Parts: sequence; structure tokens; C-alpha cells
Amino acid sequence: MDLETPTAEHPPTQSFDIVSTYRDLLASDPDLTMPVAAIEALVEALAHSTVSTVAETLQLLERHTNTLKASIPNPISLSAGTDLFQRYLITTLTRPSSLGGLASVHLGPSDDFRAIRNHLLSNGRLFVERAKASRDKIASFGKHFVRDGATVLTNGGSRVVGALLRTAAESSTIRFRVIYVLSPSTSSDSREGLQTVADLRAHNVPVATIPDAAVAYSLGKVDMVIVGAEGVVENGGIISRMGTYQLGLLAKSKGKPFYVVAESHKFVRLYPLSQFDLPIDQKMLDFKVAEDKNFESKDKAPEDGTTADLCFENVPSKCSGQSADDAVDFTPPDLISGIITESGVLTPSAVSEELIKIWF
Amino acid sequence: MSKTTEGEAVQPPAEKIAEGDLKPQTESKVEAGVEDKKPQAAETDRAPKLSAAELKKRKQAEKQARRAQAKGAGPSTSGPPTQQKGPAARDGPKQQKDAKQPAKEGQSRPLPARRRPSQSEVPVLEKAKKEVKKETKQQGLFFGHLYNQPRQHSMVGASKDVHPAVLALGLQYSSYVVCGSTARMVSMLLAFKAVIETYQTPVGTSLARHLTSHHLSPQIDYLRSCRPLSISMGNAIRWLKDIIIKIDPSTPEAQAKRDLLSEIDNFILQRITAADELIAETAAKKIEEGDVILTYASSSIVEKTLLRAHNAGVKFSVIVVDSKPLFEGKRLARDLANHGLKVKYLLITGASHAVRDASKVFLGAHAMMSNGRLYSRVGTALVSMLANDHSLPVIVLCESVKFTERVALDSIVGNEVAPADELLSESERKDLLPLKPFLPKSVTARADEKDKSEGGEEAKDSPEDVLKWIVDSPNLQMLQVLYDVTPAEYINMVITEYGSLPPSSVPVVHRLSTNI
Amino acid sequence: MSPGAVAVTPGLSSFLKSLKSTPVEPSIEHFISYSSPIQEPHTQQLTSHSLLKRRQIRNSRPCALATTALLLRVVGEFKGRDAAKLVERIRQVGRRLTSAQPREVVVGNIVRRVLGLIREVVDEKLDEDANANSDFGNNSESQSQSQTQTQHDSLHRPTLASSISTFSPLKYAALEPMDSSFPSENMSDSGELTKRPPLLTSHTSTAAPLVNSLFGLFSQPDTPSTSNTPTGHQSPDSKSMVTALNLERLADFTKTNFDLKAEVMDGIRELQDELDQVDDQIAANALDHIHSNEIILTHTASTSVQTFLLAAARKRKFTVVHCETFPHDHTATHGVLLTGKESDGHADDAEEAWKPLTAAGIQVVMIPDSHVFAIMSRVNKVILATHTVLANGGLVAAAGAHMIAKAAKVHQTPVVVVSGVYKLSPVYPFDIQELIEYGDAGSVVPYEDGDFVDKVDVENPLYDYVPADLVDLYITNLGGHAPSYLYRIVADHYRSEDINL
Repeated sequence: MDLETPTAEHPPTQSFDIVSTYRDLLASDPDLTMPVAAIEALVEALAHSTVSTVAETLQLLERHTNTLKASIPNPISLSAGTDLFQRYLITTLTRPSSLGGLASVHLGPSDDFRAIRNHLLSNGRLFVERAKASRDKIASFGKHFVRDGATVLTNGGSRVVGALLRTAAESSTIRFRVIYVLSPSTSSDSREGLQTVADLRAHNVPVATIPDAAVAYSLGKVDMVIVGAEGVVENGGIISRMGTYQLGLLAKSKGKPFYVVAESHKFVRLYPLSQFDLPIDQKMLDFKVAEDKNFESKDKAPEDGTTADLCFENVPSKCSGQSADDAVDFTPPDLISGIITESGVLTPSAVSEELIKIWF
Repeated sequence: MSKTTEGEAVQPPAEKIAEGDLKPQTESKVEAGVEDKKPQAAETDRAPKLSAAELKKRKQAEKQARRAQAKGAGPSTSGPPTQQKGPAARDGPKQQKDAKQPAKEGQSRPLPARRRPSQSEVPVLEKAKKEVKKETKQQGLFFGHLYNQPRQHSMVGASKDVHPAVLALGLQYSSYVVCGSTARMVSMLLAFKAVIETYQTPVGTSLARHLTSHHLSPQIDYLRSCRPLSISMGNAIRWLKDIIIKIDPSTPEAQAKRDLLSEIDNFILQRITAADELIAETAAKKIEEGDVILTYASSSIVEKTLLRAHNAGVKFSVIVVDSKPLFEGKRLARDLANHGLKVKYLLITGASHAVRDASKVFLGAHAMMSNGRLYSRVGTALVSMLANDHSLPVIVLCESVKFTERVALDSIVGNEVAPADELLSESERKDLLPLKPFLPKSVTARADEKDKSEGGEEAKDSPEDVLKWIVDSPNLQMLQVLYDVTPAEYINMVITEYGSLPPSSVPVVHRLSTNI
Repeated sequence: MSPGAVAVTPGLSSFLKSLKSTPVEPSIEHFISYSSPIQEPHTQQLTSHSLLKRRQIRNSRPCALATTALLLRVVGEFKGRDAAKLVERIRQVGRRLTSAQPREVVVGNIVRRVLGLIREVVDEKLDEDANANSDFGNNSESQSQSQTQTQHDSLHRPTLASSISTFSPLKYAALEPMDSSFPSENMSDSGELTKRPPLLTSHTSTAAPLVNSLFGLFSQPDTPSTSNTPTGHQSPDSKSMVTALNLERLADFTKTNFDLKAEVMDGIRELQDELDQVDDQIAANALDHIHSNEIILTHTASTSVQTFLLAAARKRKFTVVHCETFPHDHTATHGVLLTGKESDGHADDAEEAWKPLTAAGIQVVMIPDSHVFAIMSRVNKVILATHTVLANGGLVAAAGAHMIAKAAKVHQTPVVVVSGVYKLSPVYPFDIQELIEYGDAGSVVPYEDGDFVDKVDVENPLYDYVPADLVDLYITNLGGHAPSYLYRIVADHYRSEDINL
């Protein structure tokens, strides 16, 4: 990744475009998650800059982070990465004497800073690898949740869930069935979902695909629900693809265990109280009467066009609100049985502890 | 009755005096009214030995209890355990009763007060009585209000009016030989048929006026003293009285009796036999290939349904959940297994595991309350709760004759308390024997004392001792009730002969079925 | 010390006695091979007697006591001062014990506690030494090496609860005595080190002074100079990073004047003390939870619960409704009600005279289990005994516990679970069914009904799994905890590297 070595020749670029870097990163690697891509982008931003003090660095990051967040409609997942990165820098940089591994008593603060910077710049790729590896790790033990003879309900779009189910399918000892909730549209999520379904079927795992509306109907045959998440918030709840909340509600009402699979870099410092307390602007609810029918849709094409625009053109939505494809909802912690991360199964209360530990 | 003999030996002989003046009296009465051998046998068996003072006290207590009960229910109401009076039951019967009381005495029938004490002469009862006393005192929180009436365990004290068939039936009730709401009702009606057959209207009265109050009432009272009447019995009694009242006084007696008998047959046929057929047919259709039907305890109609589905070739299996001390489900499980069904048997502690494997729950009913709640064998509520938790459909099979206008919110206000000493089976008591050295001094001391006073030639460690320990342990008591109330929200469907309904429609059907 | 002698008097106390009287120098191998079957009698003996003696529910404590005594012995007879070897030895014993009776989770708990103890002792030693030569002189290399290798968990999450045990006790116990050659899924097994080297495993523990697990992503890949303050120093949590591997490294530390054995044995004795006092410590909370005139529903013959109630009975008057837990614990329950003491058939521990609750002036009403729902509307509080508590806040308790807890939930009655910390297990309940033990059908249906048993499939589950959301409060010897906080208690008591034995 480190094509551009951190040399001082680079001008203190305003020309560096964090947003396009971020988009390129995401586009170049389908396995990359948003938070990690954001971290990558920030590392590159750091590389393009010539800042030499802590304060400057933090300012720079702050600016880029804000640009980045402003550039996409739903920055929650992304902010998990940027916040984590920022927090990491702050804690390491402001405590020079104890700087991780690099610092020893002989190095001064500025050396610390250089060391950290070098570490970050030279290992950017490593972070990505780690993030991906954590997915494998989750898959490798998350598969223990899939018991022999079980029927697993999942909704599409999560790469971790896909990895987990694939891993479970590959281990020949477990026979299980999957009910896959596919969104009707042609978004990337559902393509991802179709791929997973195909893989699972190739592994002789019987898969049924159902629309959102059939979840409650199918729940009687389900033993457990596994979903992915865009972000895990402070109270242990999750932000996830629209529909996850109702999945959780339904699962709870039928007493089915509801597991969330998420890498721990998706933990985000956010404490939503309700669906409408998210720091994003979703226009799911768009009340209309007959007259303003013609105003529809054009005025609210998301800035981050691509996928959403596609949907609007290809699949004319019958709903007044925004298409559900890239919308998210918040699933409160009381609906969640456990959060499977690469370092273990956390109860929702343990998530808060992890976040408290880095933020307080 | 084994308890009786055991207890007999226990009694100090000094108390036999009391028996002297009672026994001949009752015996002669019984002989006068009863031709059957059975009661006589029981008579010899019986050995009432109570001090006169004790006797008096009890007499009084029971008189009061009886009065309270009579007031509450009237002779015609079903003695639902709580003795709540239904609006229908209130007027007519009560007046009847009031009117009758003097007449009864005038006819030199034994006074209730005289009759009752001799009933409870059985020594076992004395023990139970002691416990009851304690429990009523301590147990005010729970079921204190239900302890007013000691259980009749023998036919010894029954009035001479009690028909032998009814006498025998009463014993079968109290020993749970005849158990289950439907069976008890049917057997009662059959016994009443016998009663009616032998009935002869005294000169000067009409059958319609005399039969109910003077001839049937003692039978009913006796049955109630053996075990509180079931709701279904209450409903049947009410129906019967209604019919009797409606008999045209001009009808010749033989004709009237014939009519009555055929009416009873008809009632059984319509409300039970045919109804069961209909219910079983509907319910059996609910059983699908591969189902795992869970049932609790034993219900005749559930059994019928399961067998019908099985005979129709549906492949399914059954889980019977059961509980002590009655273990009714054991017989059901055995019968089903004998018919080739795959049966799994668990006790109530394993119910959580049972519901995991089940796909549907079929329950019998003692009664359906008008607020949609199910009044059934204690433990039913637990099973339904767990099933509901697992989203299993809970289906109650219930003839409409078991519907009642009563309502209940919990299982405490109305229930039937059973003698607590039934709780510990022989083997359980045996298991406890080695504990003797660890008992607190106070308890052992008392127990020993008793041993001595008994002459103590029998082995000290007889299983019966364990009961004594419990009785003698201060503050320790056992509690057994027979029913509990299942909230309506756990019940998905009630199948009756009128069709399938939600629990909320029970009062509707009840009204329909009683107005017919 | 023939095994036959054990079979004759298979009780706990006889086992403990036999441990004491064992010749000083039996070979450890022999000792273990003798001791591992001893776990089976604990259950076998009970089931085989089940015609008369029910399978005891509370064999958690006997097992815990036996295991500690055994491990004390193992440590005592361990030769050498190599901490790593000691850890390996204990593990080995632990594996055999747990595979002998996999559902007795407590055995594994105790083994893990002892392992953690050894690590702790070593950590302390390491701290001292590191402090002694703070300028990372001679040993800096070995230490740093050990760190790079041992801080393997990329998020190196110290919270134990979170580090999952993929070990599903029964399956693996049955298949193979899981050893560290089963590495692929083991999060914190040293086997992982070999499999997935620097990328994930390397981590500078000092990435942040507050060991920030979420920062794992940014950690150093392979910096050789991680030599400043040792990990154990910064936060107690980070101690968990010392694994068997660096124990080996540390072998030379222990060569000096450091009596590993004595320290560990002291620790085990403390553990034994904890086991002895656990009921009383729990009972100390009783007055906080039981008020006058309350109606308390409980079940089984748990001594913990009885002690708890007795403690409250000293000051307050209340009523106890006791389910008899038929068919597997009713005799013991009746016994407790009558005598106050759990009758384990072989009444060998003639400790002080127990008083039944009733003797303390407490009204006790015994009910059959079927009455739970009927009674529940009058009950103020439910107190449950437990067999094992799991890290997610759920528990395994005597069969019937689930319906009691559920009925309580339905009636909005608080459910309090009384349990010693030693029953807290880091095992995650992947498959609850595997933790459930089934007893003898003979106690459900007497053998006289032989034909019945032939025709009908009689099941007698001994345990229930009670999910965390049915429990309102746990009371341990450390105090009261919400079920959601249990993960932390678990994390405080076990080291992540020991979760997979």
C-alpha cells in the first residue's frame, strides 16, 4: 500500500483528496470494510502531509475526518474507524513516555511522534490484513455457534456472516440449513448475498432465500439468527442494514437467539436512544399527500450517488421514502444474545466496557 | 385403607368408649337404608375412637363448615371448590334448602351434625385433621380458606340415605380411582340413575318436589364430602335438578322415573359421548405427520384424540409430562404405547426439555372459566407457559359441559386442597428413614414418645414415621392442591363439540350450551 | 490405596482422607490415573444408588473440594521449579479430570483457577525481576521475544469473558482429550502462535498504557525493542498475556531463590479456604435481600441456599416455599427440610449440628414441583441454587429451575441465584444440551414398572439451563451482581490462556 513513501517533498497538500482515496480503497478491495478503509485513507493523508507536531497532526486528521464523514450519507461505520484512529493517536501521542514499544526512555516526544508516524505509515497494509484476518478468526470460531441440525436465519450483506457460514459449511461435521433474507433490489449487498448463497449451496448446505416480509413467517423453523453489523454502539446495540431491527424484534418475540457478528474495529462511540437518534439523515419516512407526488425522489438523491441512484433508476421504488438499500436501523442491546467478535463472544454489556476503556 | 388399619393400631384403646354410643347407632342406620354388603364391611373396618370432647369440638366445627358451605353453594350448585355461587344457583336452591331443613329433622332423619362426626372417625383422618388445623393457622396466606372441610375417606359415616352405589363411588373419588372431570361426572350420573331407580316418592309429596331435595341432596353431600365436586358434576347436577323440577306432577311415578333415566342417558350421550366424538375428530385433524404432541397428566379426550389420529395412520409421537403424586400420565403413556404409539415420558421438572422437542400441546381440562382461563390439573399452567414460550400451539380439548360461568385470576382463591400426606409415597418415606439420627431433638423426642405410647412393638423405622416427623416438625408442612389456573394468553385454541374457539369465546359458548 | 477401597466408601470425605493418607511418594502418574477415575464414582456412585439415593444436585462442591485437594497434592509432589512444566502437569491432570466427567464444569473451573494462580505467581516474580534490572539488560532479548510471541491476540483483549472458549466440554472431551494440538479455533491457545504468526500475534502490549484492546489494529508488527515496563505492571489485565510460552522463558527466573511450589500451594490453600467459606460469605448478603414477612420460593437441597436463608432467619421472619425437585433431588430436599442438612446418603461429614429452617422459626411449606405456577402469584422472591454459572449470565441448575424462573418472570417475581464464584465457568454455552445430564429412568418410574420402561421412553433430565434474562440477580461470595456483569467476574477469575484446558 505504501507506494508513496512518507517523504517531505510532498506539499502540505490540500490537493490530497481524502474522499477519493477512500473511495478508491473501497473499490479496489471488495473485502475492505468502511472503518478500515477510512483508517487507510487517513494514514495516506498522514503520509501526504508534512506535519511534524502532535497538534498539527490531530488537526489534520480532524479536518480529513470531517471531510470524509461529510462526503458519504452514512458515516457511522466509517466513523468507527476514524474515531478509533484518532483516539489511538491521542492516547499514544499524548503519553509519550509510555509510547508503545517504540518509545523507550531515551526518546523524546518528537521522536515518539516520528516513531508512531513511521509505524503507521509503514504498516498501513498490515492493518488491513489484520482487519481481514479478524474476519477469518470470527468465522473460525463463530462456526461453533452453528450446531449440527440447526437452521440459521441471516440477512444479506454482511461479509463476516458470509465468511462464518462458509466456514461452517466447509467443516463437514456440521449439517445445517440457512434461511437467507435477500433484499429485492440489485444493490451490492444483495449481490454479495447471492454469492454467499451460491457458495453455501455449492457446499451442500440447503439454503432458502426469502424476502424481508417472510421473516416472521419463517421464524418458526429457525433455531438461531445471525446478522452482521455496520457498527456496534456503546450500549451494545448495533447499527445495521435496514431490517435488522425488525429481525431482532421478531427473533426476541419468538425466543430465538440473535447473534451479531462484527469485528471489534466496528465498535463505534455512539449512543443512540432510538431509531431517530442516529447521527445521519435518513429519509425513510416521507409523508406525502397526492399533490406533491411529482416532487418525488429527485430532490433527495443522495450525494453519494452511485448505488442509491442506480436503485432509483432501475428499481422504481414504490415507497415514498428513501430506498432501504443503504439505510440502516438501530437494534437495541436487549434484543441481542451475544456479539461475536474476533476475540470472543461479548455480551452487550461487555461492549460498553471495551469502549469505556478507550474513551475514558 | 391401609392407612386406616395402621392408624387403628395407633389409637389408645381408652378412646373406644366414645365409639360405643356411636357405632351401633350409625350401623343400624346404615343397615336400615342400605342393603349392600360393602358398607357393612367398611363398618367393621372402621373404629371411631375419639374422646368425647374432641368429638364435640369437631362436630361443631364441621357443622359450621357445612353451614357455611351450604349457604355458599346451596345443595344444587356444583360445589366448585371456592363455593362461589353462580347467579343461577342462588335463588331457587337456597330457598329450597331453607324450606327443607325443618322437614328433614321432622322426619327423624339424622341431623347433619350427628351424621358428620361419625364420618370422620377414621383414624387417618385424625392425623390429617391435626395437620389441617395447623395449616389453617399457618397457611392463611395461601390456602387457609380452603381447609374448611376434611376429606371423607370412607363410607362409614354416611347417612343411611346414601345409596350404596353412591357410597362406593365416593370412595372411588377420594382414592382417585375415579379421577378426571368427565369420568367423575359420568359415574355420578350413572350412580344417580341407580338412585332414581330405587327411589319411591313418599306419600304426600310429588317426585318433582321431593326427589331433589330429600333424596338427591344427601347423595350429593356425601360425594362432596369425599371430594369437592368438579365443575362438570356441578353442571350436571344443576341440569338434573332442573329437569326434575320441570317434571309434570301429574306424571305417574314410574313414567317420570323412566323419563328421568332416559334423560340422563341422553345427557351423557349428547354432552359427553357424542361431544367427545366430535372433539376427537376435530382435534385429530390437527395432528399432522411428524408432529410431536405434548400432553400433561391424563385426559380421556386427549387420549381418544391421539388414538384416533394414530388409527388414522398419522405418524406422530407423544410426550407425556406427568407429576407426582397422582402420576396420571403413567397410565396414559402406557395405554398409548400399547397401541403402538411412540411415547416419551417425563416428569414436570423435565418439562422445559419436553417442550423443546414438542410441536403441539394438547391439554385436557377440568373446567374452562368464563374469563378464558383453563382450570386443570396442577402443573398445566407450567406446561402451557413453557409451550407458549416456545411458540408451540396450546390446544385445550374440553366438552362444553365443563364450561363454567365462574372466573378466576389465580390458582389460590379457588382450588381443591388434597391431603398432604398423599404427597410422600411409600418409597420416598423409606428413603428418608436413615435421616432419623439427624432430626432435631424436639421432633425425635415427640416421635419417640409416641412410639412408646403405642407400645412400640413394631419396628421403629416404619415409613409411617416419616409422616409423623413432618407433622411434628414445627413450622413444616406439606401442601398439595389439585388444580391451577392457566392464563388465557397461553391457550391458542379450545376445541369443543361446537367447534374450535379462542379462549375468549368460552363465555359465549357457555351461554349457548346452557340455554339450549 | 487400592482403587477398591475407594469404591467401598466413595464419598467425598473418604476421598479426601485417602488423599491425606496416600504414601508420600507415589508416582504422580499413578496418582493421576488413580484420581481421574475418582471423579466418576462421584457420579456413578450416585446414579447407581439412585434407587435409594438420588443423584445429588450439589455435587459441584464435592467436586470442587476434591479437585483442589487433588491439585494441591499434585503440586506438592511436583519436582522441579519449572513453572511451564508445572502448568503443563496441571493441565494434563485437568484434562483427564474433565474428560472423566465433562459435565462437572466445576472441576475445570478449579483447574483453571489453579493454572491462573501459577501464572500469577510467576507474573509477580517477573515483575520483581523486571523491576530489579529495569534497564533491560541481559534478559531484554528473551523477554521481548516472549512478548512478541505471546501477545498473540491481536486485540489482546484481557477480558476473559470475551475471549471465547471454543472448547465445548463434552464433545471434545468425548472425542479426544483436547490438547493444544487442536489449535485452529483456539483463540488464545499457544497453538495459534505457530499457525498465524506475526500478523495477528504480534502486539505491543504497550501500545497504550491503558491496555486498549480496541487499538489492537494499530499495534506494532515486529518491533524488537519492546522492553520497557513489563506488561504485568501496567494493568492487572495485561498479566493475562503471559502464557505458557513465556513461562518457559521464565524458567531461569525461577532458578534463583524463588519457591514456586510453596507459593502455588499457598494459593491453592487459599482456594480451599474460599470453598469452605463460600456459603457463609454468600449468606452475609442475606439480610439485604430478604425482608420480614416475605414469601420465598426455593428448590433443591442446596446448602448455599439453606445457609443463606438461615442467616436471614436470625433476624427476620419469613415464609419459605420449597419445591421438592422430584424425582432427582426430593429425598435430599425432604431431608434438608427435616434435618437442615443435606443427606448425602453417606453422612460422613459430621460437622456441627445443622438446624433446619423450621427450627429457626421459619415457616416452610413443601410443595410438589407442579405447584410452582399456582403458588407463584403469592411469592415475593425466588432463590435458586445452581450447578454451574456460565459466562453469559445463564446458569445450569437442577431440572425444574427453568420453569420456576420462567414462572417467576411471568409473575414479575425477582429471581435471585445464589452461587459461589467457583461455580462460575468461562465456558460459553454453544450448545446447552451438551451440559444437560440425564439421570436414571428408574427414579421416574420405579423398576417394578419394568414393562413401562420397555415401552415408553422415560427421560429424566437432571439439569435445566436457565437463560440470563430470567435471572435478576446473582449473589456470590463477592456480593450481588447483575447477570450482565457476570462476564467481568468470570474475567477476573480465569486467565484467557487457560480457558481451553
